[in-house]
Amino acid sequence: MVIDEATLMTLAARAQRGDRQAYAAMLSGCRAWLLRYYARKVPPDQIEDLVQETLLAVHRKLSSFDPSRPLTPWLAAIARYRFVDHLRQAYRRATETDLDDDLAADTRDDERLIARLSLDRLFEALPAAQQRAIALVKLEGLSITEAAASTGQSESLVKVNIHRGLKRLAALIESA
Amino acid sequence: MSPNSNDLIAALVDDLKPVAPLSQGAGMAQAVLALILGAAIVALGLGVRPDLLSGRLDPVFLVATGLFLVLALAAAWAALDMARPFVGVHRDGWAWTGLMAAVLPAAALGVIAADLLAGRPAPIDGDCHCLVVGLLTGLLTALVLGLRLRRGAPTSPGRAGLFAGVAAGAAGVVAVSLNCPHSSLVHIGVWHGGTVILGGLAGRLLGPRLFGW
Repeated sequence: MVIDEATLMTLAARAQRGDRQAYAAMLSGCRAWLLRYYARKVPPDQIEDLVQETLLAVHRKLSSFDPSRPLTPWLAAIARYRFVDHLRQAYRRATETDLDDDLAADTRDDERLIARLSLDRLFEALPAAQQRAIALVKLEGLSITEAAASTGQSESLVKVNIHRGLKRLAALIESA
Repeated sequence: MSPNSNDLIAALVDDLKPVAPLSQGAGMAQAVLALILGAAIVALGLGVRPDLLSGRLDPVFLVATGLFLVLALAAAWAALDMARPFVGVHRDGWAWTGLMAAVLPAAALGVIAADLLAGRPAPIDGDCHCLVVGLLTGLLTALVLGLRLRRGAPTSPGRAGLFAGVAAGAAGVVAVSLNCPHSSLVHIGVWHGGTVILGGLAGRLLGPRLFGW
């Protein structure tokens, strides 16, 4: 369901006053917008979870919507915050290591895969040399020397590529 | 729509209660009241500096206190604005005010450095009373801003904490300035400026923990 901005604003203002019918319509409109937003950023199997997390955040933070402003930029700010938090959590889980626990290792492998899938979407915007340097050192845990030998880049170039790549990734996440 | 989303939306609708939108004006009024309350506590509890009572106001006191007052208001406004997320808004007005107020500690450091280079003892007093009282008084403003930020949805909790901390520190400095008998640039730059810097640092460090959601 696609609802125009003016209607969304009205629905949100009525929802703040406790109008449940307006709230249901507003949440459906938000869900449709969020599905399109996350479809460009995360693998398909993660979209629904993120949409639901964001709808919960919308519910908890409804009072932070200013009824004199459009709703979509407010929703976009909340969606971006949840997306960055999702990436941060996935990356943190993926970089945890505990080789003694086989079960945990299996779970981590799945989470690492999910993190990689999310990151791969962002990686597409980086030059190949930066992608390779970050993947080898930051995701696979190689040393700078090993990464340099593997890629044929000098050690200082590997460092520069990691630095520039991470900076670019941060900018991409911020502007997502 | 997937069944899960239908269920979730139904549950959220069922849970809906009327909420008052976060008002920037009301938040600002509360922050100003906290500042006035802090100033009143300092004035009544510790007394007012003699030149204020006699009506012979020191220009350095006026300029410095005015700068910290404007900084407190600008940073409080920026912190409150962050409670209401909105893509595309740039909140950098407080930074220009902060730069303006930073002239005071920078000038103080310049004076200290010049004296040290000339072989003279640093003209700094050890009277950290203003820093302690300023930080304690600023807690009132920090409490008001913190509660508003926790109710809201700051998308950069660390930056929101920084704004709130700077506002609280500057509000504390305004309050303690009513009592502080010093009018030297070095004292104001080091101890009053230090209060704002410490407040900002504390806010920046605590912000992600307090205002994340």
